[in-house]
Amino acid sequence: MERKIRVLVTKIGLDGHDRGAKVIAYGLRDAGFEVIFLGVRQTPDQVVNTAIQEDVDVVGLSILSGAHMPLAKRVLEKLKEKGGEDIIVLIGGLIPEEDKQPLKEMGVVEVFTSGTDIIRVAEVINQHVKAEK
Amino acid sequence: MTKRDEKIRKREQAWKDGTVKKALSRFPVLKESPSRFFTPLDLKDDFDFLKKVGFPGEYPFTAGTYAFDPSAGLAKLAAKAPAGSGRTRAAGYSGYGTPEDTRDYYKQMIEHGSRGGPNLAMDLPTQCGYDSDNPTVEGEVGKVGVAIDTLRDFEIIYEPYQGDLNLDRIASNFTINAPAIYIIAMYVALAENRGTPINKLRATPQNDILKEYIARGTYIFPARPAMRLFRDTLVFINKHMPNVNITSIGGYHIREAGATREQDLAYSMAIAMAYLQEGIDAGLGIDDFAPRFTFNAFGGSMEFLKEIAFQRAARRMYARILKERFGAKDPRSMIIRMPLAAHIGPSSTTIQRPLNNLTRAVMGAIAGALSGGRPAPFPPYDEPLGLGWSAEATQLSTDAGRILTCEAKLGEVEDPFAGSYCMEALTDEIEEAAGQELDKIEEMGGAVAAIEQGYMQKMVSRNAYEHQKKVASGETLIVGVNCFTGENELEVETSRLVPHPYDPEKRAKAEERQIASLNEVKRTRNNKEVKRLLKTLEQKARQEDENLVPVCIECAKAYVTIQEVCDVFRDVFGEYDAPSIL
Repeated sequence: MERKIRVLVTKIGLDGHDRGAKVIAYGLRDAGFEVIFLGVRQTPDQVVNTAIQEDVDVVGLSILSGAHMPLAKRVLEKLKEKGGEDIIVLIGGLIPEEDKQPLKEMGVVEVFTSGTDIIRVAEVINQHVKAEK
Repeated sequence: MTKRDEKIRKREQAWKDGTVKKALSRFPVLKESPSRFFTPLDLKDDFDFLKKVGFPGEYPFTAGTYAFDPSAGLAKLAAKAPAGSGRTRAAGYSGYGTPEDTRDYYKQMIEHGSRGGPNLAMDLPTQCGYDSDNPTVEGEVGKVGVAIDTLRDFEIIYEPYQGDLNLDRIASNFTINAPAIYIIAMYVALAENRGTPINKLRATPQNDILKEYIARGTYIFPARPAMRLFRDTLVFINKHMPNVNITSIGGYHIREAGATREQDLAYSMAIAMAYLQEGIDAGLGIDDFAPRFTFNAFGGSMEFLKEIAFQRAARRMYARILKERFGAKDPRSMIIRMPLAAHIGPSSTTIQRPLNNLTRAVMGAIAGALSGGRPAPFPPYDEPLGLGWSAEATQLSTDAGRILTCEAKLGEVEDPFAGSYCMEALTDEIEEAAGQELDKIEEMGGAVAAIEQGYMQKMVSRNAYEHQKKVASGETLIVGVNCFTGENELEVETSRLVPHPYDPEKRAKAEERQIASLNEVKRTRNNKEVKRLLKTLEQKARQEDENLVPVCIECAKAYVTIQEVCDVFRDVFGEYDAPSIL
C-alpha cells in the first residue's frame, strides 16, 4: 500500500484563533492525507521535533498574530539544523500581501490567505511532495 | 385551531396551489419558491404580546434592553458640535508596542479631544501570562496589543490620565481573561498608590475565561481552578468596587470560531449561568452582583432577519433564566448590557474586493439598529487585510453609522419588527433551538463539565468545517470569493493615505525596549519582598477558600511580574491541555 502523505498542522506562537487550523486539519484528512494536529501555542522547537519524529512530509503553520516573519524564520532554521530540510513548509493565516514574497524567499513553499479552497492546499501539497520524491 | 386560523390555513393552501404554482410555472429553473411567507399560523401558543415581547426596557426585554437607544438623540447633538471629533478613538480597542508607545498614542487622542478611558488591547504574552523577556515569546511582545509585565507598565500607560481625567473620572476596559485577576489587582494598586478610592473606579475587565477554551484560546489553567480565580474577582469587585463590571461575556468569539447561531446562544447562556452560580455559591444574593455582569457581544452573520431575531431571543432568554432559575427580582439583573446588538462579525468580511466589507458592515449596522442597538458598522472594511484598521476605513464606518442615524433615521422606532409574524416566529425558533442545546449542556453538568469533556470545542470546530465545505461546494455563496469572480469583475482598489499613528521604527524596536525596561524594574525592586510575596501567594492559592485578589494587589505594588504570579498558579493549578479534535 502506498504511504499516505503526512501533514503536520499546527499553530505556532501564542495566538489561539484556531478555526482555520482546525478546518484545514479536517479538510486535509478528508482529502486523504495523514494529518497530525498539534493544536495551539506550539514553539518552533516543538513543531520541528514532532515533524521529524513523526516523519512528516509537510508542516502547515497557521499564524494570525502578525508574528509570521520571525516565527517562520525560526521553524525553517530549526528544520535545517535537524536535517529536515526536505520537509516542505506552508503558511496559512492573516498574512499581508507584501509579506508573501519575503516568506517565499525565506523558504516557505506557499502562503494561503483567507478564502483559500482546501482543494488548492491539497494540490500544492501533492505537487511539491511528489516533486521532492 | 380557531375559526380564524382555519380560514387562514385553507387560504394558505389555496395560495400555494394557485398563485405560487402559477408564478413558478413562469420560472421553470426554480423548483420551488425561493422565499417564505409568514402568517398568524406561525405564531406559537396564541401569541401573548406582553409575555413574549413587552415594552422596551421591561421584562422580558425582547423589544430592547432600555426604554430607548440614546444614540439617535445624541447623534443629532453631536452633529451640531464643532468639527474634529473624527480621530479621537481612545475608547476604541487599542494598545501598541510598549507602554510608552501606548501612552503617547493616548496623549495624542486626548489632545484631539478624547475624554474616554483606555480600552486596552494587550499583547499575547500578557494574555497568556508570560513576561516580555521569556525567550519562548520572542517576536510577540507588543504585537496585537501593549505589553504589560508589571505595575510599572500601568503607571506609564496611565500617565496622561490625571486631574479631570483621573482614574475616578474615566472608565477603563481590559481585554484580559486567564490572568484577569492580576490585571484587576494592578488597576487597584495603581489607584491606591495615587490615593484614589477604589470604590470610585469604573472599569470592565473581559474576565470571561470559559469562552477561551472554545474560542480565542488564551487560556492558561484548567477550567475549574480558572473558575476559582473568577470567583475571587467576582467577590472582591462586588465588595469593594461597586462601579466595576465583573465580566464581559463574549458569545461573539464563539460564533467567530465557527458556532451556529443556536450554539452561540446556548453556550453563552451556559457560561453566564456558570459565572452566576459562582456568585451564588460564594453566598451572595443574585441581585447584589448580577447587575454587574455585561456582555461583549453575541456573534454575527450576514443573515439579516435571523440576526435581528437572535438578539431578541437572547434578551428574552437571559431575562427568563435570571428571573425563573436564579430568582432575580431586580430588572437590572435580567438585562443584557452590551455595546453592540446585531452585526456581521469579522468572519463575514473577505480579503477579496475588500471595499465590499463596507456594504456588509452597513447591513450589519442596519440589523443592529433594528434589533435594539445602535447602527454601528463593524468592522471597518480593511479588517481582513491584517494591517490594522486604516484611518480611512474607520472614517467610513463612523460616517455610515451617522448616515443611518441622521439621514435614514433608523432610531425612530424601537424594535420595529415587534409583532411581525416572521420576526416573532424566527425569535421563537432560535430561542427554542438554543434552549435544547442548553439542556444538553446542563445534562453534562454545565459549561465547565462540557468544556472539560471537549464537547463545546468539538461542536464548534466541526461546524466551522461544515461551513467551509458549504463554501467550497457553493451551497453558501460569498461574493468575490466563490461566486462573481469572473474576469469581467472589477478589482476595486483601496488605498491608505493617512499614516498610521504608530511609527514603524518604534514598532520594530518595541520588544527590545520593553525587555530593557522590565530588566530595570527587576533590578530596582525589592527582590526579597517579591520572594516572600510569591511564597504567600502559593500558600493562599493552595487554599480554595482564600480570596487571592488582596495578595495579588500586594504583589502588584511590589512589581511582581505577571509571569511570576502565573507561574505560581501553574505550579498549584496545572495547565490546561486541549483535547484532540481529530
